[in-house]
Amino acid sequence: MELSESVQKGFQMLADPGSFDSNAFTLLLRAAFQSLLDAQADEAVLDHPDLKHIDPVVLKHCHAAAATYILEAGKHGADKSTLSTYLEDCKFDRERIELFCTEYQNNKNSLEILLGSIGRSLPHIMDVSWRLEYQIKTNQLHRMYRPAYLVTLSVQNTDSPSYPEISFSCSMEQLQDLVGKLKDASKSLERATQL
Amino acid sequence: MLLALSEEHKEHLSFLPQVDSAGKLNVSSDTVQHGVEGLTYLLTESSKLMISELDFQDSVFVLGFSEELNKLLLQLYLDNRKEIRTILSELAPSLPSYHNLEWRLDVQLASRSLRQQIKPAVTIKLHLNQNGDHNTKVLQTDPATLLHLVQQLEQALEEMKTNHCRRVVRNIK
Repeated sequence: MELSESVQKGFQMLADPGSFDSNAFTLLLRAAFQSLLDAQADEAVLDHPDLKHIDPVVLKHCHAAAATYILEAGKHGADKSTLSTYLEDCKFDRERIELFCTEYQNNKNSLEILLGSIGRSLPHIMDVSWRLEYQIKTNQLHRMYRPAYLVTLSVQNTDSPSYPEISFSCSMEQLQDLVGKLKDASKSLERATQL
Repeated sequence: MLLALSEEHKEHLSFLPQVDSAGKLNVSSDTVQHGVEGLTYLLTESSKLMISELDFQDSVFVLGFSEELNKLLLQLYLDNRKEIRTILSELAPSLPSYHNLEWRLDVQLASRSLRQQIKPAVTIKLHLNQNGDHNTKVLQTDPATLLHLVQQLEQALEEMKTNHCRRVVRNIK
């Protein structure tokens, strides 16, 4: 994990009981996790009365340092010993290291989900809807009498927030072909997971 | 159901009996064109409406052709009806239609924002046809959605076998 000097400085300030007492430390730590993971977190996350006595510049610096470190740790799947080593180097006492590791462990899953969802991918199929119709006639052709399906796939694109749809028609045989192939894929998936 | 032939159509077709079986035509190109158009109209309308043999014969009867010519026209109609209908069906307004589906299993191992992942995904290439154009779309889905898709579409297929659909198919003729 590569961490900048700024992060290290921020952590060294956090380690100091003179700048951050126990309560303030805990609050700042929780605020860092909250601003990363809580979608509804607002900018006032640092506006706690028990943090008011600390210089806002220091507060912001330490908050940013903690958030940066948390993200890096999450990205690399850091374990407890890695965390402890780094925090020791920043002069954290035992108690604060334990607190950090506990908070990290509690939020680890959410962090991984968040990080995993960032990035580009192909348009993702979310759902399918279908319509069965019985074709009777067109203005070009009367007495048709055949069933047909209209299938619509709703798709989510990472690039645009829109949800375009892909619609196509198919006959019964074609739909059977489509379903057959999708079933092959899911059987293959099942076999792969059993290896 | 009888074919309704307008006066203009009858006029165009009136040239047919004059055609010498040896093939040499001694008339103006306009007349020939009209004759061809008339014949085309006769055949496509008959095919479109899917009229019965008897109805076809009766419709042609009003043109006052010889017995031989009538028989010939009937044969022409019956021989080409299916193909004409196939061509006509392609003229209908249509959406892209399904052609083929290719799939591939992938597992995402890492990304810029998260290392050490195991994220299975199914990549799908959907081939569609529209008005002769071949279109492909590359899409992805996760295992859970794939199972959901299969389940939903199987239900769609089952629908045709229900009593309701069977009744409709039986009764709308």
